[in-house]
Amino acid sequence: MLSDKVLDNLPQEVRRRVEPYVEAVQLMTQTSNAKVLRSMAPSGIRGLILQRGKQGVPTKMPSHHRVYFDWTYPNDHPDMRELYTRAKEQQWNGDDLPWHIDVDPENTEKPIMPRQFMAFDDLRDRGIRLTDLEERRLNSSVASWMLSQFLHGEQGALFAAAQVTEAVQFFDGKLYGSTQVVDEGRHVEVFHRYLDTKLNKLYQINDNLFVIIDALIQDSRWDVKFLGMQIMVEGLALGAFGTLYQMTKEPLLKELLRMVIQDEARHVHYGVLALRDHFRHELSDSERREREDWAFEVALLMRNRFLSFEVYEEWFEHKLTRKEWAEFVTNSPGFAVFRQVMFKRLVPNLREIGLLSDRIKPHYDRAGLMKYFDGQSARELSGDQMIAELDAA
Amino acid sequence: MVGKRQARVGRFDVAAALAARALPGAMTPLIEQARLDAKMILERASGRAPSPLIGEQAEPAPLREVDLLSILPRAFVEKLRSAERDVRMLTGRLILGKNPSPLIERSRPAAGAVVSLPRKTPAMTRPLKVTDVIRETDDAVSIYLTEADGSALEFRPGQFLSVDVIIDGERCRRAYSLASACMAGTPRHITVKRIANGRVSNHLNDTIRVGDELAVLGPSGNFTVEPRPVNERHLVMIAGGSGITPIMSILETILRLEDRSRVTLIYGNRSWKDVIFRDRLAALRDEVGDRLIVDHVLEHAPEDWSGGRGLLTRDVLEGRLDALGIQDDGLQRYFLCGPTPMMQAAHEALQARGVAANRVAEERFTRPEEREGAKGSSEAELVMISRCGHEHGIQVEPGQTILEAALAAGIDMPFSCAMGGCGACRVRLTSGDVRMEEPNCLSRAELEQRYVLTCVGRPHAQSSILVEGA
Repeated sequence: MLSDKVLDNLPQEVRRRVEPYVEAVQLMTQTSNAKVLRSMAPSGIRGLILQRGKQGVPTKMPSHHRVYFDWTYPNDHPDMRELYTRAKEQQWNGDDLPWHIDVDPENTEKPIMPRQFMAFDDLRDRGIRLTDLEERRLNSSVASWMLSQFLHGEQGALFAAAQVTEAVQFFDGKLYGSTQVVDEGRHVEVFHRYLDTKLNKLYQINDNLFVIIDALIQDSRWDVKFLGMQIMVEGLALGAFGTLYQMTKEPLLKELLRMVIQDEARHVHYGVLALRDHFRHELSDSERREREDWAFEVALLMRNRFLSFEVYEEWFEHKLTRKEWAEFVTNSPGFAVFRQVMFKRLVPNLREIGLLSDRIKPHYDRAGLMKYFDGQSARELSGDQMIAELDAA
Repeated sequence: MVGKRQARVGRFDVAAALAARALPGAMTPLIEQARLDAKMILERASGRAPSPLIGEQAEPAPLREVDLLSILPRAFVEKLRSAERDVRMLTGRLILGKNPSPLIERSRPAAGAVVSLPRKTPAMTRPLKVTDVIRETDDAVSIYLTEADGSALEFRPGQFLSVDVIIDGERCRRAYSLASACMAGTPRHITVKRIANGRVSNHLNDTIRVGDELAVLGPSGNFTVEPRPVNERHLVMIAGGSGITPIMSILETILRLEDRSRVTLIYGNRSWKDVIFRDRLAALRDEVGDRLIVDHVLEHAPEDWSGGRGLLTRDVLEGRLDALGIQDDGLQRYFLCGPTPMMQAAHEALQARGVAANRVAEERFTRPEEREGAKGSSEAELVMISRCGHEHGIQVEPGQTILEAALAAGIDMPFSCAMGGCGACRVRLTSGDVRMEEPNCLSRAELEQRYVLTCVGRPHAQSSILVEGA
């Protein structure tokens, strides 16, 4: 790519300053859909260029959706009603997690993430030699970073769930949505408590994640909010939580994730229920194409989110270029597993709601995601099943 | 104390602030006075007389702190500020080459700030499975236990479990020693003797069944020995009634694992039928021969009884020690467990024989009802906990112990028995006032060094504690 060549010829310091902007432009121009570009570009500028999530002040986002009231209280969606019943029965209290467990993020016997999560040999080949202690600390930083992003994602999910509850037109969906708001509040509570009292380290929100949250919170269309939150963010989070659940040997985090995963499986299922018929029968072709391209753009943002540039800025900003760091992360075995499992959970759901047409498949194929096409969608997979599957793996 | 109310910034303030910034510093007092005069005239003209009371007037913002944008519409100012931040972000990265910190800097809670409100105390206990129940005497029952997954309980000989029982909706916690030999393959059990009016001991004697679950903490306690096969030692043990339970664990473990060690036990009971482990002691005696001497002393002995008689008073004990020919060799270790008068008598008898206090180990159990000073403050109190270099503020509700409040707030605190018996939750009080249930296991020296036990400690004022070694 031309921009890569230009970057390679720039002095190191200049490159360091302009590289994030080049990346942002590359990312935002991946889509050829003008409508998607129009709806995502403002969020892209706010998140990637102006870094609104990192300005050190609370972010105020306007919201333009319509609140949908129904004064007849219909029983209009039995599947959602059942999900509501199940959600009520499966409520849990964050206080009941085993908070007494002492967590040492650098403990090698019960590591939060396996030691081989990152390819330290790869770093050595790039001239960076870390001591044993530094390797453990870097691992621990990545764990804090990842959990911080989960926390920020959950804050987005909390407000998005509230918006979706207002905007959805199924009354049974509204009842169910109220439980999801509680779920997301609880997730914010437990992730924050874990980071605050156990790891004592909280990272800023990743710019890519900010763009996604900004885009779906400000979008006025209810189905785009649903798509962004319930399918993309929750779906990918489900994969990410599942991977960390499998990897971690830290008993408190394992239990925390086990409980969160069971909630998340319901959330994604709700998104599939709400969107399947709407996307298949009520949208025009061009509207469906737009959703499809929007989802692909968000998938790329989610992929980039996991490049964990905040850790790079903390540890290696003057030692590696962003591109070198991105290669290192991409090749690290732990992150590779994350990407795989995340998309394994996402792609079948996109298929189920009809957003994986032959037109878009080559894009996902190029991103190496089509191999998960035959997995189970959230509709076919309960939280318990998922935990059993993860435990058996 | 709450600071004085500050007046809303108006046009006069902004005009004065602009003038103060534009004109020489010497003019500032004049401008300041002109601002106040103008405001006063304006207020009077609009019918708002200044408050007649001192201290009720709002204070004008200092000139140098007046925000020049504050007279513009708020929404416009917000946009302006947002744009300012955006520009700062861009120039920071592009021109200065400075990224925003990847970490979120949050100030640590200042003293006095409550960061964790009290919640429901998390369960501290874990369930054990009751695998067998054996009646030892009319008044004592042995309860055999395993971990919930069926594995054997890990413990050291002489340690105890804190057992939680809910009776009439109230949680009662009692300590019961594990009375088993501490060896692989030996089933673990506690033995519970009925106490007159004892809620938990009677409840367990009457209701416990195989298959039940028992909520416990621990094992805990330092009344223990470390068995080593190479040892050759003589342990002298004095037990009264149910005080035999930890003693039984220690003596059987030692006799089985240390081939050359021996034990002399002076064991007091009310009558022959009240003797817990009577047959087990006899069988052990048959097995190990002279390495075990058991001297039963009965308060109500039958006429043909040839052993010791009476309560274990100082005189009786001295008589038994003499009768058994026990001469202190300066190395023997003594283990005592039984009712408080017996313990007192044993200490006196041993002291009279020149036994140094550090060779006498004792285990005391008291019922919570017998404890004093346990109530704490009648109001919620703030306790700052320093641990691993971090400070957490917690609010301890009336009746709550510091340990309960800290665990509820998600703070890792050391603890084991949670009833003042093992010292695992010992912390140093750095300021304030914490009162504990008495008696507890802290020594006089520890009390002088301001140590407190969080499991039986309740704040009487705002306090700070330091968790050492964490």
